[in-house]
Amino acid sequence: MSEVDMAVIKPEMMKSYIWLQTADGSIQQVEQEVAMFCPMICHEVIQKGMGSSKNYAISLPQRVNPAMLSLILDYCRFHQVPGRSNKERKSFDEKFIRMDTKRLCELTSAADSLQLKPLVDLTSRALARIIEGKSPEEIREIFHLPDDLTEEEKLEPLKNTTDDPRIRLLNRLYAKKRKELKERQKLKNIEVEEERVDDRSVDDLLSFINGDNGDSKGIKNSKSKKKNRRRKDQQKNTSANEAIKNHNKEPNGLNQVCCSAEVGQTVRAGVGATSNLHDVEDDIFDNKNELDDGDIDDEIDPALKEKIDREVEDFARRLNSDWPERMQEILSFGHERKPVHFSLNGNGSLRRYANSEQR
Amino acid sequence: MDDVMSRDLISGLPQSIIESILTRLPIRDAVRTSILSSKWRYKWATLTQLVFDEKCVILSNDRCKVEDGLVNFITRTLFLHQGPIHKFQLTTTHLQCCPDIDQWLLFLSRNDIKELVLELGEGEWFRVPSCLFNCKKLTRLDLFRCEFDPPPTFKGFLCLKSLNLHQVLVSPEAIESLISGCPLLESLALSYFDSLALTIRAPNLKFLCLEGEFKDICLENTPLLVAMSVAMYMTDDIAEHFEQSSTCNFNRFLGGVPRLERLIGHIYFTKFLSIGDDLGRLPITYAHLKVVELNQVSFEDMKEILVVLRLITNSPNLRELQISGSSNTLAAIDAPDLDFWEDECPSNCTFKQLRVVRMTDMSGVPHEMEFIKFLLANSPALETMSISPCVYVMDGRLNMLIELLRFRRASAQAEILFIQD
Repeated sequence: MSEVDMAVIKPEMMKSYIWLQTADGSIQQVEQEVAMFCPMICHEVIQKGMGSSKNYAISLPQRVNPAMLSLILDYCRFHQVPGRSNKERKSFDEKFIRMDTKRLCELTSAADSLQLKPLVDLTSRALARIIEGKSPEEIREIFHLPDDLTEEEKLEPLKNTTDDPRIRLLNRLYAKKRKELKERQKLKNIEVEEERVDDRSVDDLLSFINGDNGDSKGIKNSKSKKKNRRRKDQQKNTSANEAIKNHNKEPNGLNQVCCSAEVGQTVRAGVGATSNLHDVEDDIFDNKNELDDGDIDDEIDPALKEKIDREVEDFARRLNSDWPERMQEILSFGHERKPVHFSLNGNGSLRRYANSEQR
Repeated sequence: MDDVMSRDLISGLPQSIIESILTRLPIRDAVRTSILSSKWRYKWATLTQLVFDEKCVILSNDRCKVEDGLVNFITRTLFLHQGPIHKFQLTTTHLQCCPDIDQWLLFLSRNDIKELVLELGEGEWFRVPSCLFNCKKLTRLDLFRCEFDPPPTFKGFLCLKSLNLHQVLVSPEAIESLISGCPLLESLALSYFDSLALTIRAPNLKFLCLEGEFKDICLENTPLLVAMSVAMYMTDDIAEHFEQSSTCNFNRFLGGVPRLERLIGHIYFTKFLSIGDDLGRLPITYAHLKVVELNQVSFEDMKEILVVLRLITNSPNLRELQISGSSNTLAAIDAPDLDFWEDECPSNCTFKQLRVVRMTDMSGVPHEMEFIKFLLANSPALETMSISPCVYVMDGRLNMLIELLRFRRASAQAEILFIQD
């Protein structure tokens, strides 16, 4: 209300007002009982005597911009009336909280800085409802969170022993490789374009895992865009990696319980049950598109490249040969398997794992 | 990346708010936030409230798998957790006597646990390990289906405010000393105990909830009790025990609770109170008692009726009264002591604050009708008297109504509602 308006009101109707100033400098008056509903304002008024006139307007914290202040005052205006029933209040709250997520976050922040706990609780509940049940991708999208964890970091915390160790191995390998390549990219600072993978004939390994068109969905074989013979195997593996990887990337290890279990189950369902993993790939490939790094094959240290290729080939070979036995193992011992730990240096561990397999 | 960071809506909120949000999520979702972004990696790890139930794992028909999954999840979560854990709740039917629980409790006992809730499954009951008794900061303890055996050196939880033991195997002495050893105890709930004889000494106790086969209960030192709810299941030997007892249960139970505000009695509570010799005038007045609910009152037992009368006549501020009957209609024809109402009944008592009365499961036996008559005649502020007949009574309803019509009402605005089902 401006001062002109105030002059029009009859004297007996005049209420006291509190002056508030937001961080952008704008000052406004608010009815006293409404403003005093906020503990922080209440404190300023009582303890410091501020807010009685324009010159002594209470400076609100920075997190309270005029739009938020207006919302908060609406909330206060409703709730400070003592006669309302719980039902009315709840109903008001439900309607009040309907706003886009950005405003909701701002409102939470603003309410917190004004120490208005009921509103903080209300907004926190609303934010929790938004987060609940969603996949990490969805959550990132809603809140604009950067996806800046490496694959390894995502996998680290909560692996589950019901994982198929084969999948964990693939993930580890992939994560390690990706990390290395990412580092290189940072060094070079090259913007890398995604190059579509050529259709290539599918290796036996992949046909075990995911059927015929594992590649043709435009898998982000972000690691290896240069296709040479060696790469082929690796790519098959990486695409399988990606498939499983992506699937496991979305949730963290916890959800690996369900995702790996799903994947594991697809594996269990039979060697030929490739369709499930297909669907898995389908689901996740849309999300994987931010993997921009890794298209710098040319610059990869050839020695490293060699090493990685060797590992993968070794692994692929081993998988191929062991497959029937592994299937048996998976079917009978699936959830008793202990996690096998790998060092970043993949070599030793691969060997170790390989050794343990080749009994 | 700057662009993304400035667009990030939520990571900048203070940790207290983030924790408040994460606490409102199921624990599984909360832990999953660790892979959202680098800032979120450990935001969940400092949560002080961890609530686990079967939603943490994928359900499947394979019970073993679910158990393993749940155990793994909890173990890992605890292992990754940082900082104090103030509340730990585990509700599951899948785990009973699992060795991992001991380890979790040990971990929690080292992490300042304050609230512990263990609801475990049927089957072999979990034996609570000794480390639980080292949890010095415990303020709330809920145990379902456990064995509880405090070591002899255990003196009590000095900070405990709320104790809830449901289907817990524990010796009566242990319970008594536990209760006495928790000086701050405000809320006590004991349910499904077998033949428990208990003396409760809890100077700060405000809320009491008892349900089970109690042989004997004495509230020796509970001056601050505000609300109680008691359900006494009767077995044959308890009934026998009662036959032989001569102590006045009413005084032993309700003799020391002057601040009582709400009293709820289920099944046989009034019978329990009626046991023993009547010592005449009640020493205390229940000046704060506002709501009384007594279920399964047998209006054929004169002693039970006396108990009810005694209670309400000593409650000058009673506002709400609810009584459900449990009379056998076949015996209704011949009602002894009907003169009581004319002769001995206190005629000068007035229920000045009584507003709402609900009589349910009424069979229409004479004493019930006399009681209603008594209430109507002595409640000047009565607003509603609702009467629901017992489902088995079909023929007697008309008679009940006819009688009701005749009764004088002290309150001009009293409504009598006869509720048919």
